[in-house]
Amino acid sequence: MNEEFPYLKDAEEVVTVQRGPEPGGAKGAYRAFGETLRGLRTTMARLIEGPMTIQYPEEKTPVYPRFRGRHKLHRFEDTGLEKCVGCSLCAAACPADCIRVVAAENDPDDRVSPGERYAAVYEINLARCIFCGYCEVACPFDAITMGHEYELADYNRGDLIFTKEMLLAEPVERTPLRREGE
Amino acid sequence: MSAERSKVTLVVDGVEVTADDGAMLVDAAKEGDVEIPVFCYEPKLGGPVGACRMCLVEIEGIPKLQTACSTPVRDGMVVYTRTDRVIESQSAVVEFLLVNHPLDCPVCDKGGECPLQDIAMGWGPGRSRMTEPKRHFRKPMPLSPLVRIDRERCILCYRCVRFSQDVAEDEQLQLLERGASSHVGTFDDHPYIAPFHGNIIELCPVGALTAEAYRFRARPWDIEDSGSVCTLCPSQCNVMFTVRDEHVQRVLARDNDDVDAGWLCDKGRFGFQMITSEERIVEPRVGGSRAGWEAALDAVAERLRSAGERTAAIVGGQTSNEEGYLIQRLLRGALGSANITSVDELEAGLARRLAAPELGAAVPDLDAAESILVVGTDPLNSIPILDLRIRRAIRQGRARLVVASERPTALDGGAEETARYAPGDAAGFLAALAAELGNRRQAGAGTPGRAADEVPGDGSDWAEGARRIAGELRPGKTVIVYGERLGRGPGGDSALASLLECARALDLATAGAGVIGVPEGANGRGLREVGCLPGAGPGFAEAPAGRGLDRIKQGLLDGELDAVVLVHADPIRNLPDGPGWAEALRRARTVIAVSAFDDASTETADIVFPAESYAEKEGTVTHPDGRLQRLRPAVPHPGNVHPIWQVLAELGARLGHETGIGSVPEAVATIAAEVPFYAGITPEEIGGRGVRWQERPAASAVAELAAVPPEQRTSRTNLDRDDSGTLTADRLRLGTYPALWADEITDRNVALRFLAPAQTVELAPSDGERLGLASGDEVEVRSNGTGVRARVALNERMRPGAVFLIEATAAENANALPAELNVEVIKP
Ligand code: SF4
Ligand code: SF4
Ligand code: FES
Repeated sequence: MNEEFPYLKDAEEVVTVQRGPEPGGAKGAYRAFGETLRGLRTTMARLIEGPMTIQYPEEKTPVYPRFRGRHKLHRFEDTGLEKCVGCSLCAAACPADCIRVVAAENDPDDRVSPGERYAAVYEINLARCIFCGYCEVACPFDAITMGHEYELADYNRGDLIFTKEMLLAEPVERTPLRREGE
Repeated sequence: MSAERSKVTLVVDGVEVTADDGAMLVDAAKEGDVEIPVFCYEPKLGGPVGACRMCLVEIEGIPKLQTACSTPVRDGMVVYTRTDRVIESQSAVVEFLLVNHPLDCPVCDKGGECPLQDIAMGWGPGRSRMTEPKRHFRKPMPLSPLVRIDRERCILCYRCVRFSQDVAEDEQLQLLERGASSHVGTFDDHPYIAPFHGNIIELCPVGALTAEAYRFRARPWDIEDSGSVCTLCPSQCNVMFTVRDEHVQRVLARDNDDVDAGWLCDKGRFGFQMITSEERIVEPRVGGSRAGWEAALDAVAERLRSAGERTAAIVGGQTSNEEGYLIQRLLRGALGSANITSVDELEAGLARRLAAPELGAAVPDLDAAESILVVGTDPLNSIPILDLRIRRAIRQGRARLVVASERPTALDGGAEETARYAPGDAAGFLAALAAELGNRRQAGAGTPGRAADEVPGDGSDWAEGARRIAGELRPGKTVIVYGERLGRGPGGDSALASLLECARALDLATAGAGVIGVPEGANGRGLREVGCLPGAGPGFAEAPAGRGLDRIKQGLLDGELDAVVLVHADPIRNLPDGPGWAEALRRARTVIAVSAFDDASTETADIVFPAESYAEKEGTVTHPDGRLQRLRPAVPHPGNVHPIWQVLAELGARLGHETGIGSVPEAVATIAAEVPFYAGITPEEIGGRGVRWQERPAASAVAELAAVPPEQRTSRTNLDRDDSGTLTADRLRLGTYPALWADEITDRNVALRFLAPAQTVELAPSDGERLGLASGDEVEVRSNGTGVRARVALNERMRPGAVFLIEATAAENANALPAELNVEVIKP
């Protein structure tokens, strides 16, 4: 039986928290002023550095090469055939379950991809995508990579479902610019 | 069931394991949670072959590594599955299997559900030392129009070949060539066309054999599995629907040893395309134009109200128990009509006696029977999975098979004896057999009985056949598989009565023996048990006598009946005397059809309700051996299709007969309350594996079913037809039979259409010679002025004097001939 907490049956349920020493004396004064001054030094240093604002969207900073932006699907440079074979491994790897692949059989006279199989439907729901890049890692053909485009906002959720054609095309310039009078 | 096997104890990887004596090490190891990788081991295919060497393990006291799949356990065995030697051999085997494997997993349909992938990941070396080019074959090649083979991927495990050689016994698949060029194929690259060949797709542990229909359709993570039961034939195999985007993409076996032993026929496996067919009826129709449900139900209610007791209903085999129960209740309860029947109608008293629980054999009883009599049916055509089951029973060397039929069956080759009676003579033959068996029994008991020769009729060769057959049958240890179509026609009742006599003479009311009736419709048995029988209500309860099929037809023709309801039934195509039915339906004042597709019968219908497909249905069905099984919906209803039980219940309500049934479980409960031998059954109890009602306590409540006193010898006067035995040069006796692929299912599935048989007339070679006909000739089979064109096939196993045509073909249907025994075969 615990006296402070009589409703607890088992004294072991009480967790005792160890607090630091009460401030006071010289230590207390240092705490109050020393730390504050240290902080102020950083503030002052930034003050004399001048403004660092980047005029986005008119101005942009380059992203790192490994930046994970909107996906791209790729074609072979020589044949123009799609690299994706519709194997659905990216869909399996996707933790957000936002990739949908429906495969179909290639017509040898009118190929979409080399081999037997191609992706008849390839959709990524970017509203759900968490840009983890697992699809890129899973792809055995380097058919899908994460691109550098990050300006993906849209007015409609439905418009965030990217189809194969959109993913194969070069990303459109979607930088939102303020129009006159807005 | 067999007695408990004795147990042995062994140690696997330090874990003590108890297993059945005689079990193989792989299976025993599972008891200790130890997995030993296998490729070629598959108990469904029979004994182990030890072909792939994947399962090598180390056993104390044996210097060399042993194959766990073919080493039976011994008491005190000490086994290691993860020693360095074993690991080295396992990774060597995987490396070896992958030497020529193309590793094209991303394009392979098996990817994600591939034992080779799993085992290579789990037990393989991780990387290959091979830099040499791989062996190449042309790929993928069609092995049949339904299966493609990619020979590069094959690991030569022999599973498919063993299936073809040892299970289906079609012996078409072979391993050709030797060494690195070994590959699976057929003689001269003929397409592998056989009724069960789809099973090899499921057997293949790699992606060498893939289904044409499932090609690139989905990956395991794209799909949902939905277990149900196939109701395309009376085998009622347990299936697993693979569903993607609310469409059935594939049908797999859901192994249930009590029903299908893990196999499916190709109809069940590939017959799912029709579920999404464009041709399906998806909306109610009144007078040929689309209508809403309200309007259609009102129209039907009004017409049925005015027809009242002048209504009849014919229920087709795909109907579930609940639908059957509700339609009979609609007729009996709401309309006061007793004219309810199914395509599997039997005389009520006979149906009751044949359903007796002691007399019914279960499918697994075939495995242990000492003798099996197949009579009046060809299982391959009517209940294909039993064909495999009987073959297995014979192969295992326990059962002796005898076949008595009018037409040669696919099982003849494995039979000890066959007897062939002429079409329409089943009753005579069975009477002779019953007499012979009775005789033998009495001879055994010391009192001489009647000799088979004394049976009236042209019995001389019946007696001879009966004697041969009877000689093979072991009293108390026999399973009789009979075609319920024996009960059709004028001699039908006496044929089945004689069959019951045979069963009695053979003491079949014992455990492990009995009879299994093969209905025409998938749920033939269930429909009779829930009351779709003129003269017997649910549970074979006494009910006012009603009209059977023939009298319904007559009644419609005479104008004595006003309305007819066809539930999943197409009498014009599927019942004898199709033209008669066409005329009857045309004359009927009201025809109401529940059908998934337009056919000859719906054309005559005033009101058509769209039917559910079997993948959409919820309910129960009853297997021919009495096993209740559950249908579960796998996909949503397309268009404006409603559950039929709901439609029937609603119709009852509009006619002032509230059933109080608002859901399928409620319907099951109502049936369970009315059918004494289903008492207390619930969908939960039926579960995924089904339960045989004969094995439930409630079955004892119907002991009186069997206690019906043995009927006095049925009179055979109706056998003495004037036309029997008139075998002249150009008049032959016609029999018809249902061929496996001659039905609507084949026509509705584009992929299966190539299998639909063209009408063929089978003749004994002696008759062919007499008539100057050779196989392949175009002829016309004429009877009473009507003719059916067909191609001649001479068959040595045919009985001279008989000819056979196929029922229910899309064109030149044998049912178009009048119900007449004698025909002429004419060369046009
Ligand atoms: S993008 Fe790559 S991983 Fe995804 S389906 Fe195509 S080939 Fe397969
Ligand atoms: S095709 Fe498949 S089942 Fe047949 S031998 Fe090759 S790997 Fe085995
Ligand atoms: S599984 Fe044992 S040798 Fe193939």
